[in-house]
Amino acid sequence: MGVVLRNLQSVVPLRRARLRRDVEVLRHIFGVQRFDLGIICVDNRRIQHINNLYRKNNQPTDVLSFPFYEDLRPGKIPCALQRDEYNLGDIFLGVEYVKHRCKETSQDLHEALTVVTAHGICHLLGYRHETEEEWIEMQQKESYILSEFNRLTGSHLEPLTKRCT
Amino acid sequence: MLKCVSRAVQLAARVSSSVPSAPAVRPAFCRSIWSLSSSGAASASRPRLLTATRALPSLSSGSWSLHTEGDKAFAEFLTDEIKEEKKIQKNKSLPKISGGWELELNGTEAKLTRSLSGEKVTITFNVNNSIPPQLEEDPEHTQKSPEDEPEIVSTPNFVVEVTKGAKTSLVFDCHFPEDEQISHGEAEEESDIFTIREVSFQPEGDAEWKETSYTLNTDSLDWTLYDHLMDFLADRGVDNTFADELMALSTALEHQEYIKFLEDLSTFVKCK
Repeated sequence: MGVVLRNLQSVVPLRRARLRRDVEVLRHIFGVQRFDLGIICVDNRRIQHINNLYRKNNQPTDVLSFPFYEDLRPGKIPCALQRDEYNLGDIFLGVEYVKHRCKETSQDLHEALTVVTAHGICHLLGYRHETEEEWIEMQQKESYILSEFNRLTGSHLEPLTKRCT
Repeated sequence: MLKCVSRAVQLAARVSSSVPSAPAVRPAFCRSIWSLSSSGAASASRPRLLTATRALPSLSSGSWSLHTEGDKAFAEFLTDEIKEEKKIQKNKSLPKISGGWELELNGTEAKLTRSLSGEKVTITFNVNNSIPPQLEEDPEHTQKSPEDEPEIVSTPNFVVEVTKGAKTSLVFDCHFPEDEQISHGEAEEESDIFTIREVSFQPEGDAEWKETSYTLNTDSLDWTLYDHLMDFLADRGVDNTFADELMALSTALEHQEYIKFLEDLSTFVKCK
């Protein structure tokens, strides 16, 4: 399998090949190339609905992660025994929300989506940011991942600076 | 066969909620016959009316046609049905597609054309058999109010032809996913709004599909290649926004053609 990419929205024009390429690089850096991953791009209406449904938070957001493996030790690569266990889970990208944020910060949309996806993969691998300690640990991981990404691709990506809630 | 069944389902589903009162049922052996009066020389040859087991054709100004009690009831039903369908018709005129597309109609077939920087892009679709079956989710809840009735949306397959001046076009056979309802309700569908099924080079303008041209099937295609093909289409205006607008256009066109069909059917049954 690999990366299953779906674009369910028509609000924001997306370059699918570019997004897939960046996600593949991230998978390689995280060391999860063998694992399937779902990336679903949605608009504000849909991400708000999902946010409300699963987190009781009735507002749009940039990313929602649904891990296949729950309660992983942060950063631990899952131990899969069968083929259908090589699955990390799904990441919903709130592309409309991210686009709006990019307008405020003058950031490139696809670079922002790559940063957000890295954040999402961290969640799939057990990272959390509910405590200060967890947030520091996750931010360090994100920083490492994105610095490797920058080294490999020549980009200049930075982790999400705002603490996510 | 499945398409015939689904079409039949759709025809059944279009019956309006306000069903007109059923006409009196007459035994088959007692059909009344409409007799269209004629004047002049023809009146001398008016046929005798028989209370026979079979209906006799009536004569009117040289036209022969069968008019049964069933036809009368059918015509009355059609009159009501046409009225109801026109009432729920969203747009009397067809919705526009943004992006400078020119629309040509030929009955149920629509063609959208656009030229940009020497490239010509043509989208063709047919509204026949374009409405997916609306399956009952809960068989116990058969009584639904008009507000609960699922919206009928036309999701036709469409063909995109991209021509770059040469005599060969790159042709994409595109589909709307069938396994999930493309609705705007609570369903968490996770398919792309539209998909590319096949890609092939075809001679420009030919209606016949050239079978000897290699046809790329996307079922087991490398996903990176697939994404490049989708980006290729998006650059030419065939993106999710276009797909949404095409659905709206197709739905309106299908409804329009359905009403026209009902009107033609009514005329035919009445034989006016």
